[in-house]
Amino acid sequence: MAKKQPEALQAGDKVAIVCPAGQMDEKRIQNCVQQLQTLSLEVIVGNTVGQKENYFSGSDTERLDDLQKALDDKTIKAIICGRGGYGISRIIDQLDLHYFKKHPKWIVGYSDITLLHTHINRHTSIATIHGPMAGAFDSYPDSEYPSTIFPALMDTSLKYKIESHELNRIGTAEGELIGGNLCLLAHSIGSTSEPETKGKILFIEEVGEYIYSADRMFLQLKRAGWLDRIAGLVVGTFSDMKDTTTPFEMDIYSAIKKHVKDYKFPVVFDFPVGHTERNVALKIGAKYKLSVKSPSVVLKEK
Amino acid sequence: MTACMERKKFLTTTSLLLGGAFIRTKTWASPTKKSIVRPPYLQPGDTIGVTSPSGTITLEEIKPAVDLIKSWGFAIEIGKTVGQKDGIFGGTDAARIADFQYMLDNPNIKAILCARGGYGVVRIIDQIDFSHFRKHPKWLIGFSDITVFHAHIHHHQRVATIHSKMCNSFPDDWPNADALKQDTIHSIRKALQGERLQYNVAHHPSNKIGQGKGELIGGNLRTLENLAGTNSDIETDGKILFLEEVDEPLYNIDRMFWNFKRTGKLDRLAGLIICGFKTMPDDPEEQHFSLNLQQIILEKTKDADYPICFDFPVGHQVNNYALKCGCKHQLDVTPTATTLSELFIS
Repeated sequence: MAKKQPEALQAGDKVAIVCPAGQMDEKRIQNCVQQLQTLSLEVIVGNTVGQKENYFSGSDTERLDDLQKALDDKTIKAIICGRGGYGISRIIDQLDLHYFKKHPKWIVGYSDITLLHTHINRHTSIATIHGPMAGAFDSYPDSEYPSTIFPALMDTSLKYKIESHELNRIGTAEGELIGGNLCLLAHSIGSTSEPETKGKILFIEEVGEYIYSADRMFLQLKRAGWLDRIAGLVVGTFSDMKDTTTPFEMDIYSAIKKHVKDYKFPVVFDFPVGHTERNVALKIGAKYKLSVKSPSVVLKEK
Repeated sequence: MTACMERKKFLTTTSLLLGGAFIRTKTWASPTKKSIVRPPYLQPGDTIGVTSPSGTITLEEIKPAVDLIKSWGFAIEIGKTVGQKDGIFGGTDAARIADFQYMLDNPNIKAILCARGGYGVVRIIDQIDFSHFRKHPKWLIGFSDITVFHAHIHHHQRVATIHSKMCNSFPDDWPNADALKQDTIHSIRKALQGERLQYNVAHHPSNKIGQGKGELIGGNLRTLENLAGTNSDIETDGKILFLEEVDEPLYNIDRMFWNFKRTGKLDRLAGLIICGFKTMPDDPEEQHFSLNLQQIILEKTKDADYPICFDFPVGHQVNNYALKCGCKHQLDVTPTATTLSELFIS
């Protein structure tokens, strides 16, 4: 059964921007704030935005408090993370989801936020938005991609159509969407943040990893039984990949294609999700239909 | 011996007064499993097989190792994967499976020495048939990516294995190699010939004092993290866990230790041995990670009641000594030194 979608945002609603992981300058959220205000949304800027504590946007306690406050504040209808980085692992076990479960709200983010998505997906029946964060509006000011979070937040059924890729495997699948950053998905395995994958459409993305390392992490998902259970696979962007002195001699897409050859589910490559400008909002926990055909692929919310 | 006993008495008395705060002695019962089997130790004339289940290596690169091992009185059979290359691998997955399987099943080969690490074992481990090996165990030697074999064999076949340097770490010029390099290579020979291994290591200020006994298990941190949830995953209850790492930034190390904590691997150890951790410098675009290695580990083990030691001489470094994975060991962390002793079961 698909997860429950929080209420759509309406004019006048409050949206919080918080940084539960890495640090960022406050000025980087300005473009996002402006766009939210254009939609007549009121923006509450969390304490962790603009704060720096060595690597993080505040101590573990400060980051936890900022996120917890936003979760528990009944006037805040959505939380948009400022950026990813690293830090969710350090606070996730102290997060109290009791109020959130009774009063769901949209949570938006990706990258390190993947762990928050999988944790919420595992422990609640609430959908979340994997998508560009506040910082994306600053990184890509003229791009349409960051704005894809708005239809997601405002109760529009999402549909994406892209060109087919030569490595795709034709087929259709329906299922709840789950996924995110490959490293964080692997990191969740065996912990209480590991998501259920049975019957789901899995999407993965990665950035800046060695090809062999991404190969190893994908194999971990396979050997942990994820591929035995999923209905479809969406391979997003694997950007800024590194290679060893002795090259891997295969790109990561081809390696993944090889690893899934004995399964039957449809597979799409180069879907616009990941650490590049091409990163569309996806509702984790919502039911989707994936149609992999030639010349185009459609991922559509049902 | 007398001094030792007196010190122990003093500490025991103190612990009675302070509610046991000083002594951490852990001997958990190991769950379910049958006892670990030590393969037969090597005799002069025995054959050691050399294979490369992970990265690519040439015949020339293993020559110093081959020459030295022959001088020890052993024969060497060089596997087909030596000299092969498929991208980063020592041959295709199929070729590496075949070579390793041959080594496992050939009764003349009494030990398997991996030529090098790299990456590749997880791509082949599920196609390896260990049934002959289970009935006729032999020593498997290696570290880094070979951690996958140590973990898998420990869990399934319950056979002891040797975590140590491989062919690619044998010095080119043995007679003129420095003493430390020679000593670490000697430790492989000692392990193979049945010597009881014991290591005494200098005290580290971050060590947690205590004593623990249990099967030794561990290896490369990232490799182990990526086995979570798979059938090569390690169970650590009642065991002494040793970990090493190379070329990972501190935030990744922090993340990996969170994975270990959150998958229960740090909960019921008999002891924790932190070996060489060669960390990568922080990303210049990010701020410096605020915790050092000891802080990263100690914050996640603050409620632990087992001994913890740092800077143990194992890892991607010159001082990388052989350890018999799976065998029961005793870890003694005192205020002056750390001792890891293999416990013999006759």
